Amino acid sequence: MNNMAIFIDISKCTACRACQVACKNWNQLKAEQTENRGSHENPPDLSAHTWNRIRWVEELKNRKISWSFFNDRCRHCDPPDCKDAADEFVKGAIIKDKTGAVIFTEKIKAIDPDEILSACPYDIPRYDPETRMIYKCNFCFDRINAGLTPACVKACSTGALQFGDKTKMLHLAHDRISQLGKNATLYPGEDYNIFWALPDKALLKHIG
Amino acid sequence: MTNHWIDLANSDCILAMGSNPVKNHPISFKWMTKAIDRGATLISVDPRFTRTSGKAHIYAPLRSGTDIAFLGGMIKYIIDNNLFFEEYVKEYTNASFLVNPDFKLPADNEGVFSGLTGIKTNEGILDGKYDKSTWAFQKGDNGTPKKDPTLADPNCVFQLLKKHFSRYTPDLVSQITGTPEDNLLQVYKAYGKTGKANKAGTIMYAMGWTQHTVGTQNIRTMAIIQLLLGNMGMAGGGVNALRGESNVQGSTDHALLFHILPGYLKTPKASQQNYQDYIAAVTPRSGDAISANWWQNYPKYSASLLKEFYGKDVSLDDAYHYFPKIDDTENYSWLTIFDQLYHNKFSGLLSWGQNPACSGANANKTRKALTNLDWLVNVNLFDNETGSFWKGPGMDPEKIKTEVFMLPCAASFEKEGSITNSGRWMQWRYKATEPSGQSRPDGDIICDLFNRLRHLYQTNEGAFAAPILKLKWHYGPKDRKGNIKHMDPHMVAREINGYFLEDKIIKGKLYNKGTLVPSFAYLQDDGSTSSGNWLYCNSYTKEGNMAARKIKADPSGIGLYSGWAWCWPVNRRILYNRASVDKIGKPWAPEKPVIEWHRNVWRGDVPDGGWPPLSKGTKSRYPFIMLPEGHAHIFGSGCTDGPFPEHYEPLESPLKSHPLSPQFVNPAVKRWDRDGQEGQMNARATNDPRFPIVCTTYRLGEHWQTGIMTRWQPWLAELEPGMFVEISDVLAKELGIKKGEMVIVESARGALEAVAIVTIRWQPFNVMGKTIHQVGIPWHYGWATTAERSYHATDKKPEVFTFGDSANLVTPNIGDANTMIPESKCFMVNVRKK
Repeated sequence: MNNMAIFIDISKCTACRACQVACKNWNQLKAEQTENRGSHENPPDLSAHTWNRIRWVEELKNRKISWSFFNDRCRHCDPPDCKDAADEFVKGAIIKDKTGAVIFTEKIKAIDPDEILSACPYDIPRYDPETRMIYKCNFCFDRINAGLTPACVKACSTGALQFGDKTKMLHLAHDRISQLGKNATLYPGEDYNIFWALPDKALLKHIG
Repeated sequence: MTNHWIDLANSDCILAMGSNPVKNHPISFKWMTKAIDRGATLISVDPRFTRTSGKAHIYAPLRSGTDIAFLGGMIKYIIDNNLFFEEYVKEYTNASFLVNPDFKLPADNEGVFSGLTGIKTNEGILDGKYDKSTWAFQKGDNGTPKKDPTLADPNCVFQLLKKHFSRYTPDLVSQITGTPEDNLLQVYKAYGKTGKANKAGTIMYAMGWTQHTVGTQNIRTMAIIQLLLGNMGMAGGGVNALRGESNVQGSTDHALLFHILPGYLKTPKASQQNYQDYIAAVTPRSGDAISANWWQNYPKYSASLLKEFYGKDVSLDDAYHYFPKIDDTENYSWLTIFDQLYHNKFSGLLSWGQNPACSGANANKTRKALTNLDWLVNVNLFDNETGSFWKGPGMDPEKIKTEVFMLPCAASFEKEGSITNSGRWMQWRYKATEPSGQSRPDGDIICDLFNRLRHLYQTNEGAFAAPILKLKWHYGPKDRKGNIKHMDPHMVAREINGYFLEDKIIKGKLYNKGTLVPSFAYLQDDGSTSSGNWLYCNSYTKEGNMAARKIKADPSGIGLYSGWAWCWPVNRRILYNRASVDKIGKPWAPEKPVIEWHRNVWRGDVPDGGWPPLSKGTKSRYPFIMLPEGHAHIFGSGCTDGPFPEHYEPLESPLKSHPLSPQFVNPAVKRWDRDGQEGQMNARATNDPRFPIVCTTYRLGEHWQTGIMTRWQPWLAELEPGMFVEISDVLAKELGIKKGEMVIVESARGALEAVAIVTIRWQPFNVMGKTIHQVGIPWHYGWATTAERSYHATDKKPEVFTFGDSANLVTPNIGDANTMIPESKCFMVNVRKK
C-alpha cells in the first residue's frame, strides 16, 4: 500500500455533512443529544463519538458575505507528535502505518491521557473515561487496507473530499490553489496525510 | 423538469430562484459544478443568503412574494435592450398572434385583466372569476389565429407584453422587491446573455416559487423569459422544477391530485354525464395543417385508460359511467379537504404516507379538524403526529372519539418498484431487504383493502356496486376466490404500459391480442388497447422493463444517457427539442446539439415527433406540439388569474397598498379569511403592527419532509436537533435577542417556540422607502419526538430528542389561484423573547 492522502477542497464543500454521518455510520459511533445553540454547527465539539466535524465560518467582507465550512479532524501528521509522546511511555501505543494513518491502539490505555492530548498541536484527540480509550479519526485504515476509500470521501458528492496516492493528492491540491488565486493556501502543509486547500489565508485565524 | 439533472452541466447560465439546490438537492450541485467549470454563471436570487448563494457568482436578495416583479423587470430589460432571440420568438412562440381588441391590461383596467367579476372591496376584487372571452386570439378564415410577423401591431402578443411590463422599471421593481437596483441589473444582464442563439440559460425552481398565491404565475413569468431568450428545447435550458420528494414526479404523472387522471387527462365533471360529452369537451381542435395539436389524440388515451380499469368486456360508455365525477364548481384540494373535515362533512380518513398534522398549512386547523373523525387509518413507516394527534399538545384524549388504526408499511428499499425523478426518468428499484416486523408494501395493503371492499359489495347491497365489482384489478397472482395474493410490481408496470386487447393491424403490421403496446402512437380510441398511463406507454415492452436498463454509454455527447433507465415520453430526454433547431433542422447550438436533421432523418434525442423540419412545408409540424396552435404561449388563456403574470402582494403583506395597482392581492384566489365562523382559525393579518415581520419557511438537508424519516434517525437528529428561527443581526439588535436565545414566533393563527440563529445572511429590505425585516423557519419538526411530551410505557422514545413543533402552526390558510398550493413561503409574524 502506498502513502495515501485525503485532499479537502474547502471551496467545494457545502456543509451537507454527509461525511460526518458516514463517519459515524462506518465506525458505529453513537449520536449525541445535542441542542441548537444559535448555530447549525453540531455536535458542539469533537468527542469520543464524533471524529469528524464541520465548522462554520460566516463573515462580512467588503459588504459581501463569505461563508466557508472547515472539515475538522485529525491531520495524520508525518511524523506525528502524538506518536513521539506515546513512544516515551509504551512503544507501539500509537502507530503510523504505511498508508499514512495515525492509529491509536488499545495499548494507549496504559498511558496518562493528558500526555497524548497535550501532544496534539490541533486539539483533536478526545478521552473517554468510561473505556479509558482516546479517540479520533483513524483514516479508515480498515477500509483503505481492503481497497476502499475512507467513508467520508465515499459520501462526498461535490468533490470536496478526494482520496488517493499522496503525491497525486498534493499535485491536485497545488493545482487547485493556483486556480483559486493568490489568497489561497495549503493547510497545514505537505508533511501531513490530510491537507486542505483554503481559498483564503484569512480562514487560518478561524482554524487555529 | 423539461430537461434533466445531468443536463445542468450544459448550461451557460444557471438561475436558482425559489430554490436552494446546493443545500436541498445536493447531487444537482455536482452537475452545476461541471457547468461552472466550463465557464457558466451561477445566479442565486433568494430572500436569504443560502448555501447556493455561497457558491454563486451573483447573489441578489428579494423580499418573499415579489418574484413576478423581479422577473417582470427582467422581461422589460430583455425587450428594451433587444436581447431576445428574434427568430425563435417570431417562429416558435405566439408573439405575433393578434389578440381580441377588447382585451384590457391591468394598467388600463383597475389593476386586473378584462373579464373579472367578484366582490368589490377597498383592496380591490375578492373571490373573483374571470370570463376569458377577451383573452382570445383574432381568428382568420380557417379558424387559425391572425398574425403580424413584424410584431408591430399594437394588438399582437409581443406589443401587449411590452406594454404590460413597461411598468416594471428597475426603480419600481427595486422598491417592491427590496433588491438594490444595481444588483437587479447585474442579474438581468447576466441572464439576458443567453438570448444568443447558441447560448442556453436554465432555471432551477422549487417550492420557493410554487407556494404563493401567485405560484403558477411565478413560473409563467419565467417561462415567458425562457421563450424570449430561446432557451426552451435547448441543452442546458428549459424550465426545471426540482421536486421535493424522490417520486413527486411519478405520483403526479399517475394522478395523485384530484383534478387529473393518469397522464394528465382531465377528471370528468358531473356535467359530462356521458363519454361523448366528455371527449367533446376535452379534445382540442386546430384548423392549421402544420400544427400537430397532439392532444387531438386524447380519445385514444382516455379509451385506453378506461379499458385498463375495466377490461375488454365493459364498454367505454359503461366504464366512463363508473368513473367518479367531480362537481363542476368544487375543488377537492388539501385546504378544502381539511376545511370540510373541520365542518364535519366527512368522518373517516385514510392518511397514507403523509403527516397532515405537520405537513399542511395552518396546522392548528388541521389538528382540530382531525378530532371530528370517527376513524383514521394511518399508513406509515412510523407513528407520527397525525396518528397520535389525540395525545398532542392541547388535546384531551378523553374527549376525542376517533378510533385510529396504524398500518405499518414497507420502506422503499423493502419492496420492488419504480420511482420517477424530477427529470422524468422512471428508474426501477430492486428490493434490498424484507420488510421489518408486521410492515407490508403499500400495494399489498391496497389489494387487501380492495378484496375486502369487493367482498362487502358482493355480500351486501351497496349502492352503485358496479364500479367496484367490475374493476379488472390485474395486479398480482390471484387465489381461487379471485383475490390478489400479493401485488406484483411488474404486472402493474405492464398494465401501466398497456396491452392490445384484440388482434390489430396498424400501418400494415399485425399486433397480437395480449401483447404489450410498443408506444402511445399505437393506442386506439375504439377500446382495442389498454394503457394505465399513456405517457408511460413504451416503458415496459416486449424488449422488457425499460426502467431497469443500466447502459452507461452516452453517444449523444450531451449527457442524455438514453440507455439508462427510461424517460417519459418515449424516452425523450429534453422536451420541446424541435425548438432547439432552426427551420432547416440545424441546431441553434451546434456544439451541444439535442437533435439535428441529417440526411433526411433526425439524429440525437428522440425528437418531439418525427416530422421533418419546418422548411419541408406541410409535411412538417411546429415545435410546441402539445398546444393547439403549435406555438408556445407567451400569452396564454390556461390560467385562472390572467394571460400574463402581474405582481400582486401576498395575502399577508407588510405594505399598506400595492405599489403598482389598486388590486392588492391576486383577485382570483379563493378567500377563506372572509368566513367569520372560525374565529382565529383562518385569520389574516396584513399591514398589521402586531405582526410586522415577513416570514418564510424552508428545508434543511439533514431532515426530510415533516421529519418522520429523519427525526427518528439519531445521526441526523444530532445535526439539526430542533426548531430555530434565522433572524438578521440588525433585527436581533432591535429586539434585544441574542444568538441561541429562545423566542416565540407568532402569526395571526398560531405560535411556535424556536431558538434564535442571529446571522448576517438575512439582511433587512428597503421596500417603498420603509425598512422591512424578514425571518425564516424550517418546517421539519413535530411534537412527537420532543423530550417534553408525555411518553406512555408503549411509546417509542427517540434516541436523540428533537425540539419544537411544525412551522405550519403559523402558515396561512390560502392557496394559489390555479393549484391551491398553500402560501407557506410568505406571511407575517412577530418575533419576541420568550
